Amino acid sequence: MLIALVFLLPLAITLCLASDYQERLHLRPLPNSALLASFNFRSNTSALSFDQQNFRYFPRSLGQILQHTSTKELHLRFSLGRWDSESWGARPWDGAREGGTGVELWAWVEADTADEAETRWLGLTNALSGLFCASLNFIDSTKTIRPIMTFEPEGIFPNSSLSNLHLLHGTLPHEVVCTENLTPFLKLLPCKGKAGISSLFDGHKLFDATWQTMAIDVRPICDEGGKNCVLQVEQTVDMVLDIARSLRSRRDPIPRPVPIEEVECDTSKLYSGEDSCFPIKSSSEPSWSLKDIFGKPINGSCPLETGPSSSIYPVCLTVPLERTVMVQTEKPFHESKEDNGLTRCYSMPEAAEFDLLLPAENLVTEVPLPSPQLHASRHITGYGSERGGMWSTIVNPSANLSVSIVYLESLPWFMRPYLHTLRVTAESNDQQDVRHDSDPLESTYYRPAVDRARGTHLELVLTIPPASTVTISYDFEKAVLRYTEYPPDANRGFDVAPAVIRVLPQSPRRSTSDEAQSRGIYLRTTSLLLQLPTPDFSMPYNVIILTSTVMALGFGGIFNLVVRRFVGADEAPPAGLAAIVALLQQRIKGRLAFLVSQLKGGTKQE
Amino acid sequence: MPTGSESSKLAAAEAYPSGTKKPPPEATSSINVRRAVVASFWAIVILFGLPAWWKTTNIYRASLPLREMHDWADGKICKPVFPLSISVEAPNLPASDVEHLIRTTQHYLDDMNEFAAHHLRLAQDSQPPGSASITQDENRETMILRLKPEDEAASPRAVLLQHEPTLEVYFSSAQMPSTTSTSSPLATFIAHELQKTFEAEQTMLSALFASQPALENMQRKAISQQSAELIARRNNRAFKYAPTYHLTFSLFTPTATPSSWEIEKALEEYISPLLATLSSISNFTVDTQVQLYATLARSIREPQFDVEKGAWILRNEDLSGFINAAEWPLSPSIGAGPTINFVVYVPEAGKQPLVVEGSGASSWLIPQWGSVLILNTDHSAQDGHESRSSMLSMPDLESAMATFSSHLLSLLGLPESPHSLPLRISTLTRIHAASLIFSASSTLGSLARLTDTLQSIAIPNSVLHSVTLTLKHLDSACNELRAGRFHKALEHSRTAEFEAEKAFFERSMVGQVYFPDEHKVAVYMPLLGPVAVPLLMASVKEVKAWIAT
Repeated sequence: MLIALVFLLPLAITLCLASDYQERLHLRPLPNSALLASFNFRSNTSALSFDQQNFRYFPRSLGQILQHTSTKELHLRFSLGRWDSESWGARPWDGAREGGTGVELWAWVEADTADEAETRWLGLTNALSGLFCASLNFIDSTKTIRPIMTFEPEGIFPNSSLSNLHLLHGTLPHEVVCTENLTPFLKLLPCKGKAGISSLFDGHKLFDATWQTMAIDVRPICDEGGKNCVLQVEQTVDMVLDIARSLRSRRDPIPRPVPIEEVECDTSKLYSGEDSCFPIKSSSEPSWSLKDIFGKPINGSCPLETGPSSSIYPVCLTVPLERTVMVQTEKPFHESKEDNGLTRCYSMPEAAEFDLLLPAENLVTEVPLPSPQLHASRHITGYGSERGGMWSTIVNPSANLSVSIVYLESLPWFMRPYLHTLRVTAESNDQQDVRHDSDPLESTYYRPAVDRARGTHLELVLTIPPASTVTISYDFEKAVLRYTEYPPDANRGFDVAPAVIRVLPQSPRRSTSDEAQSRGIYLRTTSLLLQLPTPDFSMPYNVIILTSTVMALGFGGIFNLVVRRFVGADEAPPAGLAAIVALLQQRIKGRLAFLVSQLKGGTKQE
Repeated sequence: MPTGSESSKLAAAEAYPSGTKKPPPEATSSINVRRAVVASFWAIVILFGLPAWWKTTNIYRASLPLREMHDWADGKICKPVFPLSISVEAPNLPASDVEHLIRTTQHYLDDMNEFAAHHLRLAQDSQPPGSASITQDENRETMILRLKPEDEAASPRAVLLQHEPTLEVYFSSAQMPSTTSTSSPLATFIAHELQKTFEAEQTMLSALFASQPALENMQRKAISQQSAELIARRNNRAFKYAPTYHLTFSLFTPTATPSSWEIEKALEEYISPLLATLSSISNFTVDTQVQLYATLARSIREPQFDVEKGAWILRNEDLSGFINAAEWPLSPSIGAGPTINFVVYVPEAGKQPLVVEGSGASSWLIPQWGSVLILNTDHSAQDGHESRSSMLSMPDLESAMATFSSHLLSLLGLPESPHSLPLRISTLTRIHAASLIFSASSTLGSLARLTDTLQSIAIPNSVLHSVTLTLKHLDSACNELRAGRFHKALEHSRTAEFEAEKAFFERSMVGQVYFPDEHKVAVYMPLLGPVAVPLLMASVKEVKAWIAT
């Protein structure tokens, strides 16, 4: 028996490393009638068939880009909106599958020298820019940094190749993520949004979300010996939809006030009556279905997962135990309960529509929200267009656990921080408790900016004591750009990429290939808008014309002084208007004299 | 002789109204000083201003060898010739007899040939048999003629080997011409056979020469209207020559099955040997992909079921729109060189077999793009049962790969005849070499004309460098052609073509001047106007005064 197990174990490992595909959708209602939908698509390709360019589930277009640029691990993020951790709790995937507002890209590129890595990185950004219809090609050396501590490869590499790997990281906070990025994203999926959970993707609904992030992660996974390698591509879409907003836009796309009859009034108020109403929050959970939220039901399963279809549960829903969930489909399906029954998972029939319907209900219990390890926010302080300050606060809500983090800032070159003004202070969340903790700052990595060549790269390792708030602040100077460096909408301001915060693991790095641990825990602040001194853009022409006029005036004066002859005022010939008047007078006099003589002659004749 | 003061008095006299006070006469020295001042201002403008303006607005124009470039474009320097050497192997015959036979055959060949640039040269194989093909310079000989005496053969017969560039001639020893006779039926026969073998090549080369206006007066083979059309069609179909081609094999299906195919094995079996043979002219990279849920474009009509034929019919006019370019991920591969697409489309189970209207064919070729094949997997089970396996196996792919092989050959522009594949490839080598020389020459000509016509564009040194390289490689290519080393000629002409294109499409040359001169003048008018007017007026006044004296 034992011997059989020993023989079977390697077989099992080999099987799981073969090419396969799986997709999962996790739905989870959040407070304030929000709904978190997490889509995850994952496929594996053996390294051999990847090298031979035999693509099955791995998208060919992406695969060729990775091969051409020797990229070994890739992370690409498109994000919109803000995750409200105060009311929604911990982030999905511990924040490891989300990016800062706009586009964020980091990759491990194999190259012998740093310059070669830079060239390949530029090739990668340009190729991805074409593939995803995003302005990724604008990630140049000024927007690229090489983080030291913030990111670690998720994949498992053979030890020999680690020394040649270069990590490069670029952000594009200004980029607006929209439908044109979703279409290429869908094309990379084996089922292409025609079947399976990806059939729910609809640009109008997806980008109407309160918070939305799309991620593509490619990583190699090798077994212990480093021989049997697979390349895993994982596509993730997480979004928080406002149920009320989704329902409203289906009936009537124009936002209107709710009719007074449908508003629940607080009748305990004094002024409550016929014509006045103090609305209260509805106590019942709203009714919704997949079709209401996403505009269409799931179009059957994507039949590419290996194994019998009854054992695959692609759709999961986390709701309280007493909540009624109705399944609408024509063909048989299965339900399985996990996580003490809080999570219900469903298998889907092939080629039949599948919909989940949750009627409106008054619920007593709630599903506990996982609490986040940290809250973070960041602001720009100060006024005027010369100087400013940055102010970040990181709150550790836990009563007894201190957290070690890496704080990464990638600032544009035209924002010049004064590192000597960097202050990191820790304060207890409880106002009465006046403690003076040790300095939370453990180490700093700082690479100053070079004008027009590279941006600032700042990494701080901090320890946040339990129940405290750490504040990071520093001052910066705003640079004046050259005329052509301003974008067309210069007065809107310049986006500053979000700060990335990585929560360092308590224990040293994984020894097993535990997935959640290999991903790490991250959170990001929002992006900022930086106002720079903006000139009047007609200025150069004004300057040219004004200077020319001044020069011409000076020249004329000097030239006349040098060339003209000076005579007494009474000796000078009349010039200008006087000369013309004199000439005219002379002409008129002559004419008059002529006329008078004519007249005289005429009378004589008579 | 009037003094300066008198002359100025005279000149100024008219400006004074009578009765007013006049200034005293001006001293000669002050007049001279004034003139010197005006002259020095003009000297600064002319000696310093104009050169500075000239220097700062000048554009760099490297001096290209225009004469030589025009000569290449006009075909004055290189007249491509194709001396094809054919080595005669006759191991079992006396050398003197063979030599006589060769001489007689050569005589016939020269008589028959109407295309001077393309001529066949017979030479006796001097090497001992066996080691022959290995030790010889392979670039030099195009073909081997093997003479095999056979006792019972009544009339001579010739066999062209399919996988070797060899023509075997069987004849009885009695047909061997005697050393004294000047004519021989055997020699005529061999000459005719050789001529027939190279006829297609001569036609193609003649068509190529005919398309070059510079070579109009060259003696060449007359080609019929029909074969000219044929060649034009073949040329339209074929890809432009490139040193590297990317081959993409894609499986498309509107449903989820089949989701995999044994493409590695199939490629190994059917495509790799062909690519190995073709590697002498180009390199090939191969990639494959599987794409599920690939729907047909909306612009084409859904296939209709034809009860008589028991098949779904795809209309002829829909073939061009069959590839759904908007949704099917058939982007070209990364890297230099064009991508040749091979698409296998498996219709959904209920809609098989799908065939093309009229011909009933299931595959077609898209010129300069690739080839499409509809693979009907279940001919027997037409009831549309979902019993299809999710895997396309080797036997399913066999016919597809055979079709793709032949389509690949025609997409590369390989001629249909002769029968021998190595000979066809060497024909293609010569045709490519010649057409690359022509195209590089005409690019040079265009560049020279561009340089002549647009005097305001800059010509950086990199263009000069590329042009020099092009000329050098064109020269080498022409010499190699003359010497009969066609592969070397192809390499040189490939480089020449590449460099010529690089020179022509140099980026800094294409860039247009952003600000037109009027614009600049308008901006600087506030400076130029007030400065120029006093300068001009002063000089006009002084010149008038000087003339008056």
